[in-house]
Amino acid sequence: MIAFIIRRLLISVILLVFISVISFGIITLTPGSPYPWGELNPKISESVKANFRKQFHLDEPIWNQYWFNMRGLFTGELRSIKDGRPVLERIGERLPATIALNVVAITISLSFGLLIGVYSARKSGQWQDTALSTVSFGLLAIPEFWISYLLIIGLAGWLAIPIMGTVSHGIVFPNEAAAWMDWLWHLFLPATLLALGGIAGQSRYVRASMLDTLREDYIRTAQAKGLPADTVFYRHALRNSLRPVITGIGGLLPALIGGSVIIETIFAYPGIGRLGYQAVMERDYPTLVALNFIVATLVLLGNLIADLLYAVVDPRVRLE
Amino acid sequence: MRVFPEIGNSQLRPAASWICSGAVVRFFVYGIPVLLVALLVASFLTVASFSTDRKNELTIASIGEPTKLNPIQSAESGASEVEQFLFEGLLQYDQNLQISPQLAKSFSLSQTTTIYFQGPTAALTALSFVRAAKEAWADLSLLEARAEGTKLYLKFGLPGMTASEKIYELFNPASTLPLTTLRAETGGEARALLKEFQEANIDLPIVRAWFDYDAAFEITIPGEAKQALEDLKAFLAKKGKEKATVVVTETRKFLAEPVVQFILRDDVRWHDGAPFSSKDVAFTYRSLVNEAVASPRKSDFDLIQSLETPGPHEVLVTYRKPFSPALTSWMIPLLPAHILEDKPVTWWNDNFNRRPIGLGPFKFSSWKTNETLRLVANDDYYQGKPWLEAVVFRYLPDPIAVRLSFMTRQTDFWGVDPWAVKSYIDDPRFQVFRYPSNSYTYVGWNLRNPLFQDLRVRTAFAHAVNVPEMIKYILYGNGVQSTGIFLPHFWFANPDIKPIPYSPETAKRLLDEAGWKPGPDGIRVKDGKRLEFTLLSNQANEVRKDIATLVQDNLGDIGVEVKVEIYEWAVFISRFVNKLEFEALVLGWNTGVDFDAYQVWHSSQTNPEQLNFVGYKNPKADKLIEQLRQEFDPEKIKAMAGELQRIIYEDQPYLFLFVPDATSVIWKNSFRICRPDGKGGFVDTPVEITKAGWTYYLQWFYRPEYADRLPANREVRP
Repeated sequence: MIAFIIRRLLISVILLVFISVISFGIITLTPGSPYPWGELNPKISESVKANFRKQFHLDEPIWNQYWFNMRGLFTGELRSIKDGRPVLERIGERLPATIALNVVAITISLSFGLLIGVYSARKSGQWQDTALSTVSFGLLAIPEFWISYLLIIGLAGWLAIPIMGTVSHGIVFPNEAAAWMDWLWHLFLPATLLALGGIAGQSRYVRASMLDTLREDYIRTAQAKGLPADTVFYRHALRNSLRPVITGIGGLLPALIGGSVIIETIFAYPGIGRLGYQAVMERDYPTLVALNFIVATLVLLGNLIADLLYAVVDPRVRLE
Repeated sequence: MRVFPEIGNSQLRPAASWICSGAVVRFFVYGIPVLLVALLVASFLTVASFSTDRKNELTIASIGEPTKLNPIQSAESGASEVEQFLFEGLLQYDQNLQISPQLAKSFSLSQTTTIYFQGPTAALTALSFVRAAKEAWADLSLLEARAEGTKLYLKFGLPGMTASEKIYELFNPASTLPLTTLRAETGGEARALLKEFQEANIDLPIVRAWFDYDAAFEITIPGEAKQALEDLKAFLAKKGKEKATVVVTETRKFLAEPVVQFILRDDVRWHDGAPFSSKDVAFTYRSLVNEAVASPRKSDFDLIQSLETPGPHEVLVTYRKPFSPALTSWMIPLLPAHILEDKPVTWWNDNFNRRPIGLGPFKFSSWKTNETLRLVANDDYYQGKPWLEAVVFRYLPDPIAVRLSFMTRQTDFWGVDPWAVKSYIDDPRFQVFRYPSNSYTYVGWNLRNPLFQDLRVRTAFAHAVNVPEMIKYILYGNGVQSTGIFLPHFWFANPDIKPIPYSPETAKRLLDEAGWKPGPDGIRVKDGKRLEFTLLSNQANEVRKDIATLVQDNLGDIGVEVKVEIYEWAVFISRFVNKLEFEALVLGWNTGVDFDAYQVWHSSQTNPEQLNFVGYKNPKADKLIEQLRQEFDPEKIKAMAGELQRIIYEDQPYLFLFVPDATSVIWKNSFRICRPDGKGGFVDTPVEITKAGWTYYLQWFYRPEYADRLPANREVRP
């Protein structure tokens, strides 16, 4: 087990180097520039441009820039071209909002996925199952931004209910509880939309796994010895069907941070996804380098955790 | 607690077996979703029940969040939107876009002209010439003349070249010494290198030295500079600066150095209570030219030779040559020296730029990135405390979010797009403001292309494109037809230029005259060549895309085939505009209230990556552009700018389209203005818009429901 982990970690480090080189190339070779002034600005002289390039090492060969960025990332000295602050600090200050959003989203997708999956399995072949399957496939197929905009038009456009950002603005809250509920509302809405795809996917896993388990011999044995149907279903079948759900949790790790670019942008939510989107638009190379690196690390780590969990949950699996 | 004997897992501890019991599993499966739904419904009901009691604040929705609140480090419009309430400059535009003092109580202009002679006798003779004829030159505003060694000093009440040149013509040119300026690009260590060079060449009479960061220096020496040029080259090569270049940038007959004197207000304090003084002005200037600060606004200050502070409330700025547009650069908001001096730029970034200390009507309070930026009223403001308690900027990712935020009354003010403003004008719940924006949109012809070199063809195109219709259907009437490079609401614009009228018949006639006759397929042909070209524009700008389509359609009617190609902005600029590889393009200029047309229209600016990318060259225009930059007399500026505008309009290097309005909307009756009337009292009026935009009076905005804090004796105008 230990040998397996060490080997996987070593492979991950090599992979990370490759990922960082490729992503740095993509980031810096994109047309456009990180200058703080617009293109075609008559007020900017050549010496100002040259000085700016020098200050941010943009006049050096690309491999030097890569080295400068990676070294800065590990020493914590890498600063954004845009506001000159350390990129890790910029990412860190968005972390709480993004984690709150994604924890809620993951909770919603797991719990509703479980509910729908279990219910569908229970009603397998009946009309409820067909209806839920249709809805699930629909949710998987429809882009989340489209549903988001429909919801926004309905709630904000017709009912005039504030939904952007993390709190309502400009109004006097009647009491503290109302302020909390306001915050909760602004958190729940994007989280629900973020979770929609997850609910659909998760419920399909649970349903399939549940139906597999229900066909096992030991279930028939339990039923044969006269246990109540509920006990067989929830205690014997459900526990054993949760294996794919548990191993899937490892895969959620990168989603905790990097999975909400579109929803955060649509709902004006101040998280890491929006930071990344802005950094792309502004060609803020250092911020992009840091974000890419962190998400890549989390993906590799998540895969490792998923493999480890699999071995923990299923005694038949041995890691060599 | 019930144990489950029937399964026979007696090894399990009671707690574990409880967790595994059907009840807990069922709670996880059914209970948590029910709980989540309950919370969602409860929060929805709470938010839906909020009353509309507004705080005594003004909330502005914006897409452009600043990255740093430091006026000399930021260049984005989003930053100046906030900075205008926090900081102030020595000068400002008043409500009619005229330059007026702000932190300066007053300012005055003068000029010192230094003429160098071959010897002291020649200088003395020249002085006697000047003295003898002094009466005749009263209109040249000559205040003082004196000789010192080989130099003759002349002091004028108004900067410029004309007066000095008139006097210079009196002297025998052979008795004077012209001045040469050399520029050495050292790529670093410019200050140290010049010092060393001076020590090695003590005889070299350097009369002026100036540094462009530490990357280059310019020196001015009297007389021929051939020897000095060679010496300097050899010296730099010896110092291991093989890449350094030395060039003669200018030869001048004399030194003409304008001086601006600012007298500062003495009743202004920074938000932390420290007094504002000339030290702050000097510090701001030093920061602008500091390479570590990397200010994008430095170029505006490149012509400053020196900045002195004779007293705590006096500043003297000496320029290297007459350059009248430089005065507006003193609208730059000033930085507090007592906080930022001796601190590294990383400290600025980490501290000041996120929590700035200014001296404007509002103070910085808090900034949650990607959410809100909050400014609160400055009790200590020298013009009086604002009526509003706070101004809040709300940062949203896109125009849809901004609109929804306004419609849900989360923000009070919305800079609505011109095409969307119509429905708000008709809606009694809103009040809409329109004022001309400082921008114009045009189609630029690449004048290097033989097709566009024919003025008749360009004029024909101008006749063929229906600009009034464009304004009607693309801007929904929110704009006026452009009549050239200066905008109609600028004080120096030429009001007599009539826009070229829409007349397809004239267009056809002009093309016929130019030799472009209709071909078999309706497209005009000349010498076997079809009249066709490609019109480029950039993505993400619907207005420009629509313009391209309309131009294509209008020109199609007179037998011109136009292909339209749209590119992503960065590609558009780097592949086509900067390389000058295009036939025609749709673009726009945001202009300051600036009569300096050098970068965009001077014939020296037609190389790749320069801004006269259409390749416009007209010696008459060049001359006017150069003279305008040296003229300080408003009457003469107006005459010359008007003439320049006319010449360029007649040459039609662009098809000048329109000046769009800026449009914005507020909820009706949500604000009024109560401002000083200048006679010690106050006037209370509805929100009004000045040429300088809607925020001009913002410190005097108030909400009618909080009107109890206004002075009782105000004059209320409905």
